[in-house]
Amino acid sequence: MTQKPYSAVLIIPTGIGASIGGYAGDALPVAKAMAQICDRLITHPNVMNGASLYWQCPNIDYVEGYALDKFAGGEWGLESVTQNKIGLILDKSIETELIYRHLQATDAVRTTLGINVQEYIITDEPLNVELRMAESGTSWGTIGNPESLLRAGEKLISNGINALAVVTRFPDDSDSQALEDYRHGSGVDALGGAEAVISHLLVREFQIPCAHAPALSPLPLDVSVSPRSAAEELGYTFLPCVLVGLNKAPQFTLNQNYHTLWAKDIDTLVIPASAGGGSGMLSFSGLNTQIIAVEDNKTVLNIPPELLGMKVIRVKSYLEALGVMVTHRAGIRYDALNSSIKSIKSRN
Amino acid sequence: MTTHFITAEIDLQENPLKLKQEIEEKLTPYGKPLRWAITDVDESKQKVKVEAIVTK
Repeated sequence: MTQKPYSAVLIIPTGIGASIGGYAGDALPVAKAMAQICDRLITHPNVMNGASLYWQCPNIDYVEGYALDKFAGGEWGLESVTQNKIGLILDKSIETELIYRHLQATDAVRTTLGINVQEYIITDEPLNVELRMAESGTSWGTIGNPESLLRAGEKLISNGINALAVVTRFPDDSDSQALEDYRHGSGVDALGGAEAVISHLLVREFQIPCAHAPALSPLPLDVSVSPRSAAEELGYTFLPCVLVGLNKAPQFTLNQNYHTLWAKDIDTLVIPASAGGGSGMLSFSGLNTQIIAVEDNKTVLNIPPELLGMKVIRVKSYLEALGVMVTHRAGIRYDALNSSIKSIKSRN
Repeated sequence: MTTHFITAEIDLQENPLKLKQEIEEKLTPYGKPLRWAITDVDESKQKVKVEAIVTK
């Protein structure tokens, strides 16, 4: 009999000011550590993207947030690939010099890393992305010309592309307090919510892997930038991590067979303890999935999963979450490692 | 097609899956959801607040 692979999902939503994972790829070490104790770890671009920094693990699946919600709801499965054919969409709003910076970054990952980015397209109209903050303190945004974005996606897909990287021009707000806070490792990523809207739209319409990188003017040097945000100070684009993530991102499938992974196969879900109100989280609570809520990962939200009827194991840190996962995988009650354990319950 | 931000108030349910279903039903008249999350829970009124981005 073959042992069932141990599979986990790590979710840290973007644009909610997560103290770990709310900045520039700063939850990547969590994912790397978690991947050491799983056969498969499914996580999303907000966790894996560190602008010019990235880390490709063979057992980490890079799944865009909209697709992750569909996966959690049991509507889509994941199918591994050897290598995707990536197409790059560039927003017509991006200045010529910045376009060339992105094309050079793309050629660099094609040549130095062997990533298969096949072609690019510039949208036929400026996409006019605008950033917004909600009353809850989370970020979101609007796309002025979504049809132009979808037309660009359609053209690439009709030429055989099966994964989309998209770069849109985001407003420069170098004087804003929100950017100042973000660079210093506090507050909410003002771009994250709008990035999610863009990639969610493409995934919803085309059902293929997708991730987004914002195009921004370089910022002046700030010698006190937080280590959590420093990855975004390294170059002219945030694109390399997106292309690396998409290279082997699983495709979405409706087939159920030995090669596909479905929500019912997931052993553990790990989420921030203050952000239990996402679609994927609610979906997993209806399955036989162990849910671990990490208290150390603070966000601007205060949605304890228990208030929504979810049964979770609360831990203080990701280090503790790793321990709970190890015991789970080994078939050991995690509370048996504590000095006190409750007596068995009676049903009489 | 246009993108819109909306908020909605929904009755808290005992079952999280039922809550998800109620949220999705409540959002449908506003458009096709792209992203949503519960951003507030009022225990005394047994209501949750949802923020969502939809397309129309």
